[in-house]
Amino acid sequence: MFSRLRVMLLWTPALLLAGLGFWWAGHNREPASRPGQVDISWYVLITPLREVYEAQVAEFERLHPGVKVHIFWVPGSEFNVKLKTLAAAHQVPDLFFTGDVWLSYLLPFTRDLTPLVKRDAAEIGLDDFFPEIQRAMQLNGKYYILPEYANLSLLYYNRGMFAAAHQPEPTGDWTWADLVHAGRALTHAGADGATPVWGAARVEGWWGEWLIYVRQAGGKVFTPDGHRCLLDSPAAVAGLKFYLEKSTRHRISAPAGFEPINGFVNQRVAMVVGGHTNYWLNYNQVPGLDWDIQLLPAGPAGRSGGELAIAGYSISRDCRHPEETWALVKYLTRREAIAEVVRHGHLAVRRSVAAAVMNAPGTHAHPQNLAAAYRQFEFSEPIPHHPNYIEIMFQVVQPEVDRMLLGELTPEETGRRAATAVNEFLATFDPPAP
Amino acid sequence: MNRRRAELFWFCLFAGPALLGFVAFNLWPMLDSLWLSFCQYEVIAPPRFIGLQNYRYLFTYDPSFWPSVKVTLVFTAVQVPLAIGAALALALLLNQPVRGRGFWRAVYFLPSILPQAAFAVVFGYIFQADGGLLNRGLALFGVPGTAWTTSPTWALPVLIVISLWGFGYPMVIFLAALQDVPRELYEAAHIDGAGAWARFRHVTLPLISPIIFFNVVMGVISALKVFDLAYAFSVAQAQPTPGGPARATLFYGLNLYEQAFGYFHMGLASAMAWLLFAFILVITFINFRAGRRWVHYGD
Amino acid sequence: MNRRSTPATLALYATLAFGALVMLLPLAWMLLTSLKTYPEILRNPAPWLPARPQWGNYSAVLAGFAYYRFFLNSVFVAVMVIAGTILTCCPAAYAFAFYDVKHKDLIFGALLATLMLPAQVTVIPLFKAFATLHWVNTYLPLIVPSWLGGNVFGIFLLRQFFRTIPRSFIEAARLDGASEWAILWRLVVPMSLPAVLTVAVFTFLWSWNDLFNPLVYLQSESLGTLPVGLLYFIARAEQLTGGSIGQVPWHLVMALATVMVTPVIVLFAFVQRRFVEGVAASGVKG
Repeated sequence: MFSRLRVMLLWTPALLLAGLGFWWAGHNREPASRPGQVDISWYVLITPLREVYEAQVAEFERLHPGVKVHIFWVPGSEFNVKLKTLAAAHQVPDLFFTGDVWLSYLLPFTRDLTPLVKRDAAEIGLDDFFPEIQRAMQLNGKYYILPEYANLSLLYYNRGMFAAAHQPEPTGDWTWADLVHAGRALTHAGADGATPVWGAARVEGWWGEWLIYVRQAGGKVFTPDGHRCLLDSPAAVAGLKFYLEKSTRHRISAPAGFEPINGFVNQRVAMVVGGHTNYWLNYNQVPGLDWDIQLLPAGPAGRSGGELAIAGYSISRDCRHPEETWALVKYLTRREAIAEVVRHGHLAVRRSVAAAVMNAPGTHAHPQNLAAAYRQFEFSEPIPHHPNYIEIMFQVVQPEVDRMLLGELTPEETGRRAATAVNEFLATFDPPAP
Repeated sequence: MNRRRAELFWFCLFAGPALLGFVAFNLWPMLDSLWLSFCQYEVIAPPRFIGLQNYRYLFTYDPSFWPSVKVTLVFTAVQVPLAIGAALALALLLNQPVRGRGFWRAVYFLPSILPQAAFAVVFGYIFQADGGLLNRGLALFGVPGTAWTTSPTWALPVLIVISLWGFGYPMVIFLAALQDVPRELYEAAHIDGAGAWARFRHVTLPLISPIIFFNVVMGVISALKVFDLAYAFSVAQAQPTPGGPARATLFYGLNLYEQAFGYFHMGLASAMAWLLFAFILVITFINFRAGRRWVHYGD
Repeated sequence: MNRRSTPATLALYATLAFGALVMLLPLAWMLLTSLKTYPEILRNPAPWLPARPQWGNYSAVLAGFAYYRFFLNSVFVAVMVIAGTILTCCPAAYAFAFYDVKHKDLIFGALLATLMLPAQVTVIPLFKAFATLHWVNTYLPLIVPSWLGGNVFGIFLLRQFFRTIPRSFIEAARLDGASEWAILWRLVVPMSLPAVLTVAVFTFLWSWNDLFNPLVYLQSESLGTLPVGLLYFIARAEQLTGGSIGQVPWHLVMALATVMVTPVIVLFAFVQRRFVEGVAASGVKG
């Protein structure tokens, strides 16, 4: 009897403890909510804008008593993967940072914002967004994203190096031939004869530059329905060929493996085609780097083909408080907020903000030809909307392009092999039609 | 009769949780994953049967499958012999009459039980091109260093070297086996005039051959499954996609994880998982067959 | 025992000492780096020794970056997993060691075969199932399997040890009227404490060092265990320094890595003899 009591005394607390452990292990981790409080979970990338966001949220919560915003910071490399993992686990946050590049990938759990955008068009100043930006906010005629900033492909050049080579600076009516011509004049063996200086860099490892040429030559990655790859078309191959021949035939670019952005910063290349507007901040921190931008040079099929990508906000389909979350989205993309983001070195998505910056000389050192950036909008288009675009480009197409640059494949073979591999990929993974 | 029934009752009660766990966490997932390997399953939509398409894609078109197979096989072929060799050599040293055997054994064993993630991070710093410990050490001897971790040639050897710190398990198993070898056998061999090498070759080796065999099998299985080390190394090196540079460290396990939880090709990843499982079974079987020839099971 | 000449003995000890130095070098460099200042880290090359040991780095990373939380998460998961393993593996091992049930060896063989099953085979269906149960982003996927005998190796090791206990002991206890449950916990387990300890340590290492499962199941940063926390910390530092690993605050990273390995080293220092012998036994008898 006594021993049984002792056993009970021993096991009961143990079981209680274990029970407590399981409760703790499994209990709902949603932030504690007070009655009447509206909780919004916001999933956001860690960027230099962190303090800006924190200040905005504090101000928003002050303006909207009863709303509490919970920010989840996520490192960039994991961002979209984690978001999709949460979706797979039925736990998408109310609000998430995203971009049109990711929209098709995240579409299954992204909320259609069209009714809200239409209802509040005047309040958000829909027409204040550049028309191209407005297009990037949509997919199949529906609105999914409110933008915060944008990236677009441009021609970057080093003014000092052009002056030293007595070359006229690039103009808005340049073609590929002008790029090659100036590039040849700017390329030389270097002051010591051992560290060559190149007329143009070549952006390698992703589609940043070669997709421009493919599109400017009249090529496309996919058929409009996204079910077939067209990289083996003669036009696309012509684009790949120009990309390759920058080093092999025209000799204005270094052979494969040269780091273009470091080269531009160290003044070892005079021009970069494509680039990224996120680098503006870095360029401006380099002493003595006198740089500017121009429209992209035109290809055989025209000037259009540069990339325009927006970064902004989407609301999840399962969002618990759509109205309050929508209010936060409007707050984060209102004119003053965009102006603040532009002060941190980004490209304005609102016309009023762009105009204010351009009409206030002295507020920006470089690029001086800011007007070119906003003119480039009309020659830009979003990357193809395909749920697996990023993966296809990085994992399936890029290895073939890399082999072309190493001299293992001709542009024709590259186009053919890439198209075949992508079509096999699509046959294996293309989501069934709904 | 009554006793039998009682035993069955207690067996079910005691082993029940483990058997339930076996079914829920091994048997069922195993069969479900076999089914998924014949499906297109991208998480958002329910699985859809597509026959052998996943396998066909892996073998013929998948740009990362064969590179990851190659990385894993090279790693296994180099790392396992090196680790087993080092473990055996050290066990032989420690089997000499040394003072503080327990201490040495502990020191050599310790790195094996430390978290691989921490090891990958610390070694990433040591192998850094600029100011890394290794390059500074080499500079002392006038040997020029290189960018070990960002070079497609050196990244895999670097991971092999890192993993060699984990030879502790085979080492202590060897040491225990060596200590079981009866002293008289050596003394008899010594009297017969056998040299150190002959004693090792004709006395030690045959007696510990089952242990060598066991260690090789275990080493191969764990080398084929490498994940933590490769993933942590990729993150610590700020690689844009895991397994870089240029897929040089894209281990099979890492590739599988990326397909499953990076790109959500769960069907394809299941096919990869089953290929790995089948390969492990075949390798183990071959090991056993080959083992019969050279393993000496004395009684 | 044959006589050894002094040079050979010397060479033996020199080899052992040199090897030990190499084995411990990464740990030493980790510790030294964790005690430096950020300017010292950024200097190229960084000094061999910190000018003055910065123990404050530890409080900076644990309190300042709230990484004490990752530590506590790791401890919590490890404790729950060890408890579950001991509570379910001991009875299972007892059952397989002492009961004569039809097909027992076949069942045990099937259990053992799962040791060969790579985690990659089961993770996808399990993720699917845990997602349906809304268990993703909780600790349950890490803990529950261990409460259902998830550590087959533990069952195997305990069974090997239990079988060395003479059956007559058990029969005697039964004749005394002890229940099976009591025989297990009051007789068999106390007699097998070294084996139970070995299994507990194995389980701790497995749980503490695991990167794969937390990576798959714990998506919120605040839930992470130390291995994922360490990687988050680096990824975040890279983000803030513009992706340049040259500027990663390695002193803080190493402090965190030290926090991660210290419990393992301390535990090992206490149990190393028993544990190493347990490992050796698992191989020699297995």
